[in-house]
This record gives sequence, C-alpha cells and structure tokens, in this order.
Amino acid sequence: MKKLLVVFALVAFAAAGCAQKAVTKPEAEKTTEQKEAAEKAPEKVTEQKTAAKESVTSMEKETTGMEETEGLFKDLLFDFDKYDVKDEYKPELKSIAEWMTKHAGAKLSIEGHCDERGTNEYNLALGDKRAKAVKDYLVSLGVPSDRLETISYGEEKPLCTEHTEDCWAKNRRAHFVALGKAGK
Amino acid sequence: MRRVFFIFLLFTFHLSLFTAVQAKVYIDITSPAAAKVPLAIYDLSGAAGKEISGILRDDLVFTGLFTCVDKAAYIESVSQPFSAANWTSMGIEAVVKGSVTEDKGLTVSIRLFDVTEGKEILHKEYQAEKDLARPLAHTIANDIYTVFTGQQGIFRSRIMFVGERRGAKDLYLSDWDGHRSRKLGLKASIILSPHWSSDGNRAVYSSERARRWGIYLLDFKKMTERRIFVSKGTNLAGDFFPDKNAFVFSSSKEGSPDLYIYQIDTGKLRRLTSSFGIEVSPAVSPDGGAIAFVSDRGGSPQIYLMRSDGSEVRRVTFEGNYNTSPAWSPKGDRIAFSGRRGGKNQICIVKPDGSELIQLTDRGNNEDPSFSPDGRYLSFTSDRDGAKGVYIMRANGESQERVTPKDLKAFGPRWSPR
Repeated sequence: MKKLLVVFALVAFAAAGCAQKAVTKPEAEKTTEQKEAAEKAPEKVTEQKTAAKESVTSMEKETTGMEETEGLFKDLLFDFDKYDVKDEYKPELKSIAEWMTKHAGAKLSIEGHCDERGTNEYNLALGDKRAKAVKDYLVSLGVPSDRLETISYGEEKPLCTEHTEDCWAKNRRAHFVALGKAGK
Repeated sequence: MRRVFFIFLLFTFHLSLFTAVQAKVYIDITSPAAAKVPLAIYDLSGAAGKEISGILRDDLVFTGLFTCVDKAAYIESVSQPFSAANWTSMGIEAVVKGSVTEDKGLTVSIRLFDVTEGKEILHKEYQAEKDLARPLAHTIANDIYTVFTGQQGIFRSRIMFVGERRGAKDLYLSDWDGHRSRKLGLKASIILSPHWSSDGNRAVYSSERARRWGIYLLDFKKMTERRIFVSKGTNLAGDFFPDKNAFVFSSSKEGSPDLYIYQIDTGKLRRLTSSFGIEVSPAVSPDGGAIAFVSDRGGSPQIYLMRSDGSEVRRVTFEGNYNTSPAWSPKGDRIAFSGRRGGKNQICIVKPDGSELIQLTDRGNNEDPSFSPDGRYLSFTSDRDGAKGVYIMRANGESQERVTPKDLKAFGPRWSPR
C-alpha cells in the first residue's frame, strides 16, 4: 500500500510538472508574435562588453623579498595518499633541527608535494598535511614554529614527469627551501 | 506491481494530453527514450552562412535530441517555397531555411518549418558584428531548441578553465563547444579551480604567489583581479552561495584543511568544520541549503554532505576508496564526482542520498566534473589522449568529446551559469 501511495505521489508530481512546463512552452500565438517581430526588430546578438581590456589587471603586487636556497636537505618521501612521516626519515629530521639551531637567523619553508594520480584540489590538501606533519615533527624536536613555514604545491610542481610508479614515488615528497639569510 | 505502474504511466500520459492542447510538445526532454527528431538544415548562403549552418547542426545534434539528415537527400531547393510533401517521405520532421546578408555586419533571417503540421513555426531575424558569427549561430540554435523542448538552450554558455602552455598557467574562457577560447592574462605560476558566481559576472579561484595561497576575485565586467583572502596554509576556493556575496572554501590556516564561509563585503569568516583530517572541495547546492565536500575522516577521501551551517554531516559515497571533486546538478538531484575505479579516476554521478551511483567514463583519468546550466551535460578534465584536456559529454555519458586543443594542457573546467 505504501508503494502505491508513493506511485500516486509521483504521478501527482509529474502531472504538476507538466502543467507548470506548459506555461513556458511556446504557444502558437507566440510564434505569430515572433513572426511579426521578425519584420520589426531583429535580435541583436552582442557580447557582454568588458572594460575594453584584453587582459585582467591585478590589484596586487606580491613578492616574498626573501632569498631562497634549495638543496641543503634531501626530500622526504611519502606513501600514496598518506601524510605520516616515516620512521626512516627521523635521523634526517634530527640533523635539520640541529642545523636550524646553528643558523639562528634562518627560516625554513617545507613544501608538500603529491603524485599526479589524485585530483588537483585534494592533492593540495594532502600536500598541506604532508608539509605540516614534517613541521610538527621538527617542532617536537625543539625548532620554534615561527621559523618554519609550510606550503603545499599538490601535484602542480612535479619533480619527475613520467607516468610510472618510480616517478610518482619521487613526487610524493616534502621538499625544503631555506629562506632569508640561511644560504649565507 | 509493474502492471500498476504501467497503468499510472498511462494516466500521466493522459494528463499530458490536456497540456498538449495549450502548446505542441515536440520533445519531452525528461523522457530518456524520446525518439530523436530528424531535421533538415540548409546551408545558408556565403561563407558565414555555411559556418552558421554547421554550428546549428553541431549544437542541435550534441543534445542527443535531434539528427540531421544529409543535405544530399534534400529534394526541395533552397529557393523553392517550403512544401511538407517534399519531406514527409524522408521522415524529416522539421526544416530550417534562411538567408544571410553581409554588409557592415551580419543579418540572418531564419525560418523553421514543421513538416507534420505543414506550417512555419519560427521566423526571426538576427543581427551581429561580423566576428560574432558563432554567438549568432548559437543564439539561433537556442531559439530552435526552445521551440522543440520548451526549455532554454545552453549554446551561449561558456566554460572557464585553467590552461598551461610551456609551463605558464592562465585562466581561459571559451564558448561551451571550446571555440573562441581566450586567455585572461593572469600573472601567476599556479592557478586552481575557478568557480563562477551565480550571475556569471565574477569568479573566485586560488592562486599561489610568493609562497602563499590566496583567494582571488575576478570581475569580468571590469576585468580586474583582487586578492580577497590570504593566510598561512593552503586556501582553496571554494564555491559561491547562490545570490549571496559569500562563498565557502577550504583553508588550513588553523592547521588542518577545514571549511569556512567567507562574506566578501564584510570579510567575516565562519568556520564550518573542525577535524584532524582533510576537508576540501566544498560545493554549494543550487538552493544554497547544503554543502557537498570531500573529507578523509573515515580513512579515505569520500564525498560528504552537510547543511550550510555545518550541521547534519553524513557520508554520501561508500563505493571505492578515493572519491573527490563533487559538483551539483542545477536541480540539486544529482552530485557528480571523480571516483577511483580500478586505479583510474572516473566521472560518476550519484543521488545526494547515496543511491543510484552511475559511472560515466572509462578511459584514462577523468576529473573535475561540472554540470551545464540545464543539467543535461557535463564538462570534465581527462588525460585519455595524453596531456590533460577539457572534455564535454551528455549527463548520461554519451558523446564524450575534447573541446580544448591538443597543444594546450587544460584542466579544472567550470561551466558558466546561463
């Protein structure tokens, strides 16, 4: 019985749908109106005029003003769709923490990257979690959090561009860039 | 039970007869099995005329509701007056004739004839600048489509996407069929996921500049770009609420990627989720009442649904272990998403309650689905032919075709509102 009721409701709904649609359907009279209109005023096909500009003007000027140094530390790799720091990298992170202690003026940017298999937006969130996981570990080793920045690039900046597991493994990485006076 | 249902179908059919008195219904687009209407579309005169006729055929055939009969089969010449007798034997139901005048601009006169009724059902003139032959043709296609279906066509809609040539990314805007594509000229190395405002005059997108992820607002009327939100962490736009100056986006400013509502005029921020995991890719339902999003709170990325105030969170997808990039159909009765099936991402659609899951693609990786304003088509990204490109298809998976050129890496398409 319940099923029957549902069907009834559907029918009533469909009928209502039909009646509503009829309002928007072109009627015979409308066609004659159009016919008359054809003799009077043609439809002018135009495009939304932009401010007569070909290119977008940006209201912002953005630069870091920071000197960047890469290659001081090697990349840390992650498993597919994972963002936990593997135990094998803990000695490496310890030496990064020690380096940070020695270079008191230095800041470190930790970049989170992903392989191309995920979807772009989700990969940016995943890269964010990877960079944060590395940062959290360094903070736990005593590096002040205000000297550690994180940025996610998702799958936008691959290190390796072939579509192989070898390549994907290299791309699922945390990459380090020293900022400011660090390089000197 | 089936018999009872059949009787009710008959009953609805009977009801539709009543409405047919008010207006002739040529195609009921809600019926999946509606027969295609065979059309004859003459080549209009001149180069512009030929182009326009070609566009009319392409537009109407892509809908899946029409077929175009080969010109070689026409018995009636263009100059002869329309006579239904010349067409009935061929099974043709409607004929499009017209003329083109080219002087300073283009003037096109279009006549549409109904073969069964033996009469003219549309006669209209159109004018445009000479370089606007394509939009002019799409306007005619819209009118013909409306005559047959009673619905608005989407042939003047556009697709916005991210394009990359030689490592330089930019936002691009093209007609729905990929033609007349143009770069907007943004100076950024990384741009992601553009989203239209409901009036089509603005867009928000994320861009990484100077090591920070900002959310940018593009004003199409002024052709200006403004950064409206920036913070530490990853900020990913986001989807506008219908008819409100606000959008929802994902930000990891408090540590983990969570969802926030941002009020553009006041700069007010409201947090919707707070979990340890990832919350990303929010999509606002057409009525503004619900948000579909991606979360890995259950151990793998899945589509979830909540009310716009953050309450009543529930999971939508259970099949597969990687379901991302949700997008609503304009009626709010379906959610399209990208689901990993057998190691590759495929476009799927599902009802918001999680039922009636259908996979629409099966070649290569397919991501970023976005519905056309009438819900009949989807645009998406695919790498099936090598580099990523923008594709379109009907919402049932038919007629999948690439609309961006092979030499352009293109992704993140978003179909415009009307």
